[in-house]
Amino acid sequence: MQSAQKLTPKRLTQRQAAAVLLAPFLVIYAVFLVYPFFRGIWISLHDWNLLAVAFNPDAKEYVGLKNYNRVMWGKNITWSVFHNPIWQVGGACSAALAIWAGSTHRISKTMARFIAIVAIGVVIAMGFYPDEGGRWYDRRFWPTVANTIMFVAITVPSVTGIALVLAAALNRETRAMAVLRTLFFLSNVLSVTVVTLIWQIMFSPRQGLIANVTDVLGGSPIVWLTDAQFAMAAIVITTVWWSIGIAMMLFLAGMQDISADLYEAGALDNATGAKAFWYITLPNLKRTITLVVVLQIILHFQVFGQVHLMTNGGPNDTTQVLVRYIYQTAFRDSELGRAAAMAVFLFVIMGGFSALQFLLGREDAE
Amino acid sequence: MMNRGYYALVMVLAIPAFVWMVPTLWMLSLSFQPNDVLARTTSSTALGLIPIPFTVENFADLFAFGSTPKWFLNSIIVALGMTFGVLAVSSTAGYAMARLDFPFKKTIIAVCLIGLMIPEQAVFIPLYTMFADLGWHNSYHALILPRMAVPVGVFLMMQFFKGISNDIEEAARLEGVGWLQIYWYVMLPLARPAMMTLAILTFLYAWNDYLWPLVSAQKPEFFTITLGLASIQSNFAQSEGLGRVMASGVIASLPVVGLFLIFQRYVVRAMSVGGSKG
Repeated sequence: MQSAQKLTPKRLTQRQAAAVLLAPFLVIYAVFLVYPFFRGIWISLHDWNLLAVAFNPDAKEYVGLKNYNRVMWGKNITWSVFHNPIWQVGGACSAALAIWAGSTHRISKTMARFIAIVAIGVVIAMGFYPDEGGRWYDRRFWPTVANTIMFVAITVPSVTGIALVLAAALNRETRAMAVLRTLFFLSNVLSVTVVTLIWQIMFSPRQGLIANVTDVLGGSPIVWLTDAQFAMAAIVITTVWWSIGIAMMLFLAGMQDISADLYEAGALDNATGAKAFWYITLPNLKRTITLVVVLQIILHFQVFGQVHLMTNGGPNDTTQVLVRYIYQTAFRDSELGRAAAMAVFLFVIMGGFSALQFLLGREDAE
Repeated sequence: MMNRGYYALVMVLAIPAFVWMVPTLWMLSLSFQPNDVLARTTSSTALGLIPIPFTVENFADLFAFGSTPKWFLNSIIVALGMTFGVLAVSSTAGYAMARLDFPFKKTIIAVCLIGLMIPEQAVFIPLYTMFADLGWHNSYHALILPRMAVPVGVFLMMQFFKGISNDIEEAARLEGVGWLQIYWYVMLPLARPAMMTLAILTFLYAWNDYLWPLVSAQKPEFFTITLGLASIQSNFAQSEGLGRVMASGVIASLPVVGLFLIFQRYVVRAMSVGGSKG
């Protein structure tokens, strides 16, 4: 070492050092993330059978946007303003409400714009339907998207609500509270396969703990995972149990930043307990809540393992979700082109929420 | 603060906390019960929450036959390899982005920032075809490399290095110390807390990741424990016996639960940083 340093007394310039230090990451980043991303778009423009191309690399055929058409469109698709009146009028009202709330500074400009765009998207999307004699080319795609959205729409508010209440109750620096926080957080570090292993048997009508409890109480067991009415509920319960911890911890961190003076001032006005939570904690936690909600939407939109392992998307596709459909289309049906087109669709939606998260974070910094 | 209301609150909260723990405790308890008993009933004692009749046979069997030890070892190799790999590329790139001046700095940082928006699910199909073309599937590096490209660690390290004062660096520069030496001897030791957070974030991710191993590792010799557990749970009752599958679940959870109990603060911080990426 010593002699080697003497032999090369000339130090690297700042630029050279930067190049040396940056190169490993930038190369890996370019090869294993940027390139695959564009290659994914390229695959989505091809009729690409996984097995055929594996045997003969020239077996793929450029087809333009046909895969997108096959996945998302159909025969005789028309649009009307009142096809889904509840959703479309509701969407229009939400958009108007968001613009109003944004212009009166009740919510941030970024948020208002985002909600308005999503709501207008709903108004437009809900108006499409196949006319007489028409049909969707892929009957499963939009129901799968709807299932995914429904899963997110139930899971995220549940997790947020429970985590908020728990965080408010556990927001004390004592030994007992620390232990309770640990107990609630513990399930969060388990892997998805351990979580599904536990809950598959929890929900089992023959061996399950839940069935054993209903048995003691004299009820008849529910066939959770194969009953179309309960399968999605079972997935949601599992996910809520799994992911409540991190939301709770993020809320706790946000609560630490609320000044104790506010609570003291509140106590003088008789605002303690639930009142203090409603009038002091919640308003001061708005930003944290928004970020946690956006974070969870991104996280739960990618739901895969719970569904893949517990219900296989069934019964009758009632729990089929987007990532599982992509996985199946690619690796069971070997239709890589179509699967890649769906993955691009997924990216656009998640990218929208990631951008929102980024913009909100920047807004906070300002 | 330590009044009656406080104790009442603790008691009231202990009930949901216990309910929250029940599924995990049940897995633990089942793993210590004999398979022939479990085939008849899972609620021998206190709804099965207390392992009576008791046996350690399930764990002994796991190590005697079956692939669980191999999968566990695979998980350790992949998780440690990924952790060191991510730490190496993230700390070097993060340091350069935070403290050094180079051409196109802003552009390079912005390009990396965009990478945060690309989810694993959007690239796993093209990655599959790339690795298939290279003949890389069913290998440790196939399981490790894709995660090293995720820029979340670079930004974590960059944020940390930005916060260090210039004094130490300038003093070292005046002494004629080179940039790489400053990185190695000055910056890295200071960055221990950030490295720890990143290490735990990466280890947890590697240990728990399911989708990419499912796609890339088709041969059981290269399963991680998370993937292996998925492969035996679809037909658990018939082939292996409930108790043994539960024992696998317990073994699969030990490292992450242990990590959590020892480094609680870091784990919580890591998972907060990870957010959508973790």
